[in-house]
Amino acid sequence: MNKLIQNEMLKLMAKKRLVVIALIIGVLVILFTYAQYKQVQTQREKLGTSDWRTMVQQQIVDTTNRLSSSRLSDEWKKQLQITLQQQQYYLDHDINPAEPGAPTFMRIFLENSIDLFIPLMVMVIASDLVSSEHSLGTVKLLLTRPVKRWKVLLSKYITLCLAVSLIIAIAGILSYVISGIVFGYKGFGTPILTGFNVTDEGLNTSQVKLLSLWKFLLMDFGLVWFVAIVVGTLSFMLSVLIRSTAAGMGVMLAALISGAILNNMVSSWESAKYFFMVNLRLTDYMKGMAPPIKGMDLSFSMGVLLVWWAAALMVSFIVFTKKDVY
Amino acid sequence: MSFLSNNIIRSITIIAVSLCLLWLIGLGWAVGEYYAGKPKKAPQTAKVATKVANKKGLTVVALGDSLTRGTGDEAGKGYVGVVADEIKEKTKRPVQLTNLGINGQRSEQLKMQVQQAEVGRQLQKADVILVTIGGNDLFRGGQGLIDFQSGDIAGIEKKYLSNLKFIFEQIRKNNKQANVFFIGLYNPFIQMDQGKEMSKVIRHWNYDSAEVTAAFPKIVFVPTFDLFELKVNDYLYSDKFHPNKKGYRLIAERVASLLTW
Repeated sequence: MNKLIQNEMLKLMAKKRLVVIALIIGVLVILFTYAQYKQVQTQREKLGTSDWRTMVQQQIVDTTNRLSSSRLSDEWKKQLQITLQQQQYYLDHDINPAEPGAPTFMRIFLENSIDLFIPLMVMVIASDLVSSEHSLGTVKLLLTRPVKRWKVLLSKYITLCLAVSLIIAIAGILSYVISGIVFGYKGFGTPILTGFNVTDEGLNTSQVKLLSLWKFLLMDFGLVWFVAIVVGTLSFMLSVLIRSTAAGMGVMLAALISGAILNNMVSSWESAKYFFMVNLRLTDYMKGMAPPIKGMDLSFSMGVLLVWWAAALMVSFIVFTKKDVY
Repeated sequence: MSFLSNNIIRSITIIAVSLCLLWLIGLGWAVGEYYAGKPKKAPQTAKVATKVANKKGLTVVALGDSLTRGTGDEAGKGYVGVVADEIKEKTKRPVQLTNLGINGQRSEQLKMQVQQAEVGRQLQKADVILVTIGGNDLFRGGQGLIDFQSGDIAGIEKKYLSNLKFIFEQIRKNNKQANVFFIGLYNPFIQMDQGKEMSKVIRHWNYDSAEVTAAFPKIVFVPTFDLFELKVNDYLYSDKFHPNKKGYRLIAERVASLLTW
């Protein structure tokens, strides 16, 4: 088994996919860093100060004014109210919600890439893990060896999990190193609030607690990793089912993008919450945002994702061991 | 593939395995933290002590309702923005404008707002404070038009005046130096059927407000009633209630002429 995994790792490295992914992440992080830098600058110019309290106070007033508009949809209004209460809470406790620095950039980058960007990167590796063996014809060589088929597939799957772990680490390291050039490398100890509870009446702050940012980041990383593994497993399954890598990628891509769109409009369609793609934004629960559909929480989303994960894994193994290879 | 020696592959695999474990720990921690329930100690409300002075430039803080916000001005500036520009031009110093105006705000809501710690801190560092309040108390979104003759007005005004007094006390408590300009009400309904009676109510309202204002040092009541008395519709936005760009300019010019250094 060890040998098989080593062999798969060798194939992965030889394909240089991880290098490509690192390059993509690097370029995007540079873009985001610049965008963030510009945003901070214009805000400073507009308000004439870099004092975060003034900025947050101004944001609170601006949000309050937006709330008074009658044309807002109910969900959007609720979301705004929750943000408003959170900002007020931060201000009352004299904690900067976005302490400048590379760790904060890393946190925001992770939270925004959890539902589309990181899954896409994972897809680059997962979607041709099996199907490429078909298209290259090497699958016969692989299966004629005196090893059980499920072991071959398992070694591939374990390699995928390892690659996902590496991708998450690459994303973290690159976003820290690159953004640190502009924002500075300090700030792992800054406090952050978590435990906001979104209820029907609004925001419940009775369970709010203070955490150090590094702890919060580790949790974010864990959640991002979980999502990446689930998405990776699903594309792995498609890679087993569909011979064409492009077709498999297309299906997965469509699912992911539909998830991003659905997130904005499913609030009235309750059974949509059983789709895996509307459950990807796990980090939002840590921050205390209103879920896209009423009744969703961390355990629900993780449960849905786990069911999809288990089903995908089962289908992959059953199909791969039963399939005729020609 | 000569550069990919077995050792490199092995070390990458080991790194990947340990990262995998690390993320798993993070995941477990996240779930644990999410369901950990109540913290032993809730975060305490912090006392904001640090006073950040704006040494280089001047700080303008605006409090109040939609007039402070600038509703009706296509440019979005309102009289506050124009006054800030004016100060910038006159003093050649950078101006930091903090606009805390909230649409539809009434005097009791402003009373709550000025008690907030952060708003107090903003007031502390202000050099000029601009206030508009009372319009929504009196007009109540048009409701005031219907029952302005009833005796109810007196009660509303009494409440408003005591709120106003409280707001000024709060401002003075935070900042003894800054000049405060309190903008009076105009009559947007002056050309309507009952405009004359309405004007009478507003004149009375303004007079009493000015009386309250006079009790405080360095708080100036700025009348606007006369500005809108003739040709009111030229200066009103299409909602026939808020000033338009021209109307805001009128108010701003009046405030600007009162500024001293």
